[in-house]
Amino acid sequence: MPNTFFGWIHLLIDEYGSLFLQGAGVTMLIAVVGTVAGFVIGLLVAILRTIPIKPSAPAWQRILLRGFKTVLTVYIEVFRGTPMIVQAMVVYYGALQYLQLDMSALLAAFLVVSVNTGAYMAEIVRGGILSVDKGQKEAATAVGLTHWQSMTNVILPQAIRSILPAVGNEFVVNIKDSSVLNVISVTEVYFMSKSAAGTYLKYFEVFFITAVIYFVLTFTTTRILRLVEKKLSGKDSYTVYGSQSDSNAPIRYSPEDR
Amino acid sequence: MDSSNSPIIEILGLDKKFGRNTVLSGIDLHVPKGQVVCLIGPSGSGKSTLLRCINLLETPDAGIIRFHGQDTTQMPKGLLHAKIGMVFQQFNLFGNLDALENCVLGQMKVLRRSRIQSVGIAGKYLERVGMLPYRDARPDQLSGGQKQRVAIARALAMDPEVLLFDEPTSALDPEMVDEVLSVIRTLKDGGLTMIIVTHEMAFARDAADRVVFMDAGQLVEEGKPEALFTNPKNDRTRAFLSRSLRGHGTGLA
Repeated sequence: MPNTFFGWIHLLIDEYGSLFLQGAGVTMLIAVVGTVAGFVIGLLVAILRTIPIKPSAPAWQRILLRGFKTVLTVYIEVFRGTPMIVQAMVVYYGALQYLQLDMSALLAAFLVVSVNTGAYMAEIVRGGILSVDKGQKEAATAVGLTHWQSMTNVILPQAIRSILPAVGNEFVVNIKDSSVLNVISVTEVYFMSKSAAGTYLKYFEVFFITAVIYFVLTFTTTRILRLVEKKLSGKDSYTVYGSQSDSNAPIRYSPEDR
Repeated sequence: MDSSNSPIIEILGLDKKFGRNTVLSGIDLHVPKGQVVCLIGPSGSGKSTLLRCINLLETPDAGIIRFHGQDTTQMPKGLLHAKIGMVFQQFNLFGNLDALENCVLGQMKVLRRSRIQSVGIAGKYLERVGMLPYRDARPDQLSGGQKQRVAIARALAMDPEVLLFDEPTSALDPEMVDEVLSVIRTLKDGGLTMIIVTHEMAFARDAADRVVFMDAGQLVEEGKPEALFTNPKNDRTRAFLSRSLRGHGTGLA
């Protein structure tokens, strides 16, 4: 048996390296699936919540829409107001005991993280939509676009650009917070660490390695996200067509250029 | 489909309230095809709201607005907005799209034109307003006057029968006002029906077929520009005109 800290680290990596890697893989998988699905949920919920209720619409339509919006608000409040670790237990064992639905731990993990992230994303996206000048929606309406068309073609592309940092933040939070899923035995990196630590009862050494793994995951992710953000902020310049001073400028206008 | 002297837009007994605040009351207005109507009046008199009621950006509380004799609230929204275009004070170009795409989006989504056809039509109208060289520019790369010209091209690309202008030059630097007004004049020569809310009295006087003066949510006086500007019948009109003409120094009586 080694008797130094680094000796132990060496031994643990030798013996459990593949376990740590597998765990890190599952953690990233959950974070990616949860964030992407959560983002889609958030977009949909935000689009639905911003449907204007016209006073001229028939009463049943207004009541239906209002009821629907209330349901969405309840969803957001409940999932933001309870810890994800509890949501995991409730969903996993609830499905098992009352719906006789024995889903795999990984599937339950995807479900819980997605729905949980969706609740946060819905508010982030709504904030983004509200930050877009309301003249944009008016102009889209005046051109004849529907609510859905103006959202997907005009409002959301602008909103998403401004909420991208917050969305990236959710991704990083998910990498870290997926650790709570060990309570339903999802084999992510925290669960794997617990198993590894049990063999030699070397908790500090094992979780030191775990901490390094988490940090590498989140640090790399934030760097990549920053690059994406830069890319999405778009080009700063345009070419004046027919320009005499710019050799790249097209000379004749033809619709086929596009 | 209608004879030339029947109204293209017909407004009857229009009321609009914001909460308890009456913004428009009992507005009657007929606009024949091809006519250019300028709405003038003090700030808060309801001019913009009237305009916004015509294309249903605001829902009227009472009264009826007909387009070619058809109640606008009964028309399909897409059709109504394609037929009645709007140009805003703050331009409201789609910030995520370049100048050309601004003019393409509505054609493809609302009129279901093919991309190639939409791009061709967009190019045609951008050229007409002198903005074709800037087709690849995003709105934040354009000056106010340029943005407004693109906004006009965007509205024209939908082949509207009526174009509504909501103070199209109020957000512009003085040196850019003329480039926009001259574009609007060329549209008048093309026979487009237009309703223009404006504070440019000189423009209203020489470009309008008819000038309508509004105050406190009511249509106070209307007439040919020469008659209304030189010989206003109502006291409120007279007071407003003497105030604004003095301010602008246009040298009118």
